Amino acid sequence: MAKLRILHMYPDMLDLYGDSGNMEIISYRCKKRGIDVSIDKYSLGQGSSTDFTSYDLIYLGGGADFEQQLLADDLLSCRDNIMEAYKKGTFILMICGGYQLMGQYYKDSNGKKIPGLGLFDYYTVASTDKSKRCIGNIVIETEIGGEKYKVIGFENHGGMTENVASPFGTVLFGNGNSFGSKSEGYFEKNVIATYLHGPLLSKNPKVSDYIISYCLSRGGNIRPLEPLNDTLEEKCREVMLERLALLGSVKSE
Amino acid sequence: MFIINFFTILIGKILSGLLHLLGKNAGNLPGLVLWTINKNCLKAFKIDCPIIAVTGTNGKTSVTNFIAEMFRKEGKNIITNPEGNNLDTGITSLLLNHCTMGGRVKADYLILETDESHVPVVYSKLKLETLVVLNFFRDQLDRNGEVETLILKVNKFCETFEGNLILNGDDPNVARLGLANPNNKNVRYFTVDKYDFATDTLHEAGEGRFCPRCGKALRYDYYQYSHIGRFECPGCGYGKNSYYSRFTSVDLEKPSFTADGKEFTTAGNSIYYMYNLCAVYSVAKLYGISEETQRSVFENFKVNNGRMEQFEYKGSSLVLNLAKNPVGANMTVRALNETKGDKELLFVLNDNLADGHDVSWIWDINFSVFNNVTRVVTSGRRAYDIAVRIKCSGYDPDKIVVRPDLDDAVKELFSTTGRKFAVANYTAVQPTRAALNRFINGKENANG
Repeated sequence: MAKLRILHMYPDMLDLYGDSGNMEIISYRCKKRGIDVSIDKYSLGQGSSTDFTSYDLIYLGGGADFEQQLLADDLLSCRDNIMEAYKKGTFILMICGGYQLMGQYYKDSNGKKIPGLGLFDYYTVASTDKSKRCIGNIVIETEIGGEKYKVIGFENHGGMTENVASPFGTVLFGNGNSFGSKSEGYFEKNVIATYLHGPLLSKNPKVSDYIISYCLSRGGNIRPLEPLNDTLEEKCREVMLERLALLGSVKSE
Repeated sequence: MFIINFFTILIGKILSGLLHLLGKNAGNLPGLVLWTINKNCLKAFKIDCPIIAVTGTNGKTSVTNFIAEMFRKEGKNIITNPEGNNLDTGITSLLLNHCTMGGRVKADYLILETDESHVPVVYSKLKLETLVVLNFFRDQLDRNGEVETLILKVNKFCETFEGNLILNGDDPNVARLGLANPNNKNVRYFTVDKYDFATDTLHEAGEGRFCPRCGKALRYDYYQYSHIGRFECPGCGYGKNSYYSRFTSVDLEKPSFTADGKEFTTAGNSIYYMYNLCAVYSVAKLYGISEETQRSVFENFKVNNGRMEQFEYKGSSLVLNLAKNPVGANMTVRALNETKGDKELLFVLNDNLADGHDVSWIWDINFSVFNNVTRVVTSGRRAYDIAVRIKCSGYDPDKIVVRPDLDDAVKELFSTTGRKFAVANYTAVQPTRAALNRFINGKENANG
């Protein structure tokens, strides 16, 4: 039986905005297809006893400032191990705070610079005006698995991310990486970093399946995934796209 | 100053008079206008009586209504905001409606539900005698910001507050307020002893897992619900408090609780209901409310208004509960699971401004524990979102019926007979009550 090994980092600290739901969705979609899933939870101080390269997927959600400060040092201590896993092809999924922490640095609203893991070249600067945040529904156009796909979510961030080499998508509605930005998130074959909550995978089953397929292909399993009944998800997408007047070009889905 | 105050009241009075003439409910508008023209408008009121304020994420309306009922039964003349209107503007409007032209507010007590973030705003202007803090949970993050920000606001107020502080001693987010002003000798904690469905591990998304004083992970003997429970910091000992009021032998079957050696029967039977009553009991004890009044209110008083409100229809019974955040919804799921036998659930989810546009909080509701739930009907502006969420928890999608229109949803729900529960979020709760009443009473004599 195919198996997916997931490391969910700091689930007790990075779980703002229902981000843990992403793990529930991956598990759900795997179980429906008879794919075995194991999710290990990584907590503060487990860096030396964790083999990051043994995982197919490393996941970080978004967190509150207080919690992000508590874990920043611990995460830095895992830098080399996470880097090695990423280079060996482990998929890295990061939401909001997790996205920011993997870049060069994060300068918070008080001007304090927190070093990132530096896996990627982007960096994030938060507006010094704490009330200035990108908040609202967001839709971006991505190209995932060779197909155009609208990814729908909710953004809520004060940090403005710059110097993004390869964004996750172009913004159709909402802000994206910074106020009024054209681009959202960061993307590589084995990396999705994004500000989208919702949680991300709840309205975007194709993104879930892209991640699952990628992880399985590492183990040599390249058969296409068995389709699932996504009637509720598709209806949910339709309602939101219609509301945001973006339904016109949705036919291809 | 006198002249400014006089005109502030005069303008406010004219405004709310006009609104009444037009048949409008003067809930917020007069207050909003006064705040716009005079930031110190609250100081125009002359209030000699004690003010008791109730704040916290969940349970404010219920606790405020209970406390008001206690004082009312004791024959006191009280002014209160039973329907919410708990922001600075709503409280200002309330005072306007109850003051003389000179701005004098005549009452024995003011009992005011107050939004967490408005506690410092309102009570830097009005002299507060007692502040009751129920709990802090994540709530509409896109509107309110992080819980921590909100706690820090209230904490800052408490640093200089010397009045009575009645705190939930089982919520680490609330108990910390007791440390804010070491000179305040009037800090009192309440607690509820471990109940039958308490768990050893965190069962639902919770806040406050780390010591607010030293940052260490808190250790729990047990969790009552969410992060409410018996906790202690292994590092600095935070959490060791003595209690002013304590509920022992909570019995959800009877239902009843025991406090200070006396057993009281209650009208409601959930653990968070007991926590609300424990806050009420603390106030009653502090203000010397007679045992007779306490007994009568605890046994008979019901807030209704979509808070564990009961409906009956041709052999079916339904309990409707407001849930504007995961903890509120988890409480209804808990009550549903603790009820024996088959039942159905209606979940109404909106995403209007007052709800927060972000509905991702539904993923913090623990649906995986569904016990004998035979069918789920979803409704509201985000009917499909909640359907997807419940489906991904492992619930059979064939048992989920989506009916975005509320009347359709209620009709669908009562197409079967039996026990039913309904959860509705903030802007959904009154329309849900209205739809239930329309259906139960027939369309002709609708009242909502």
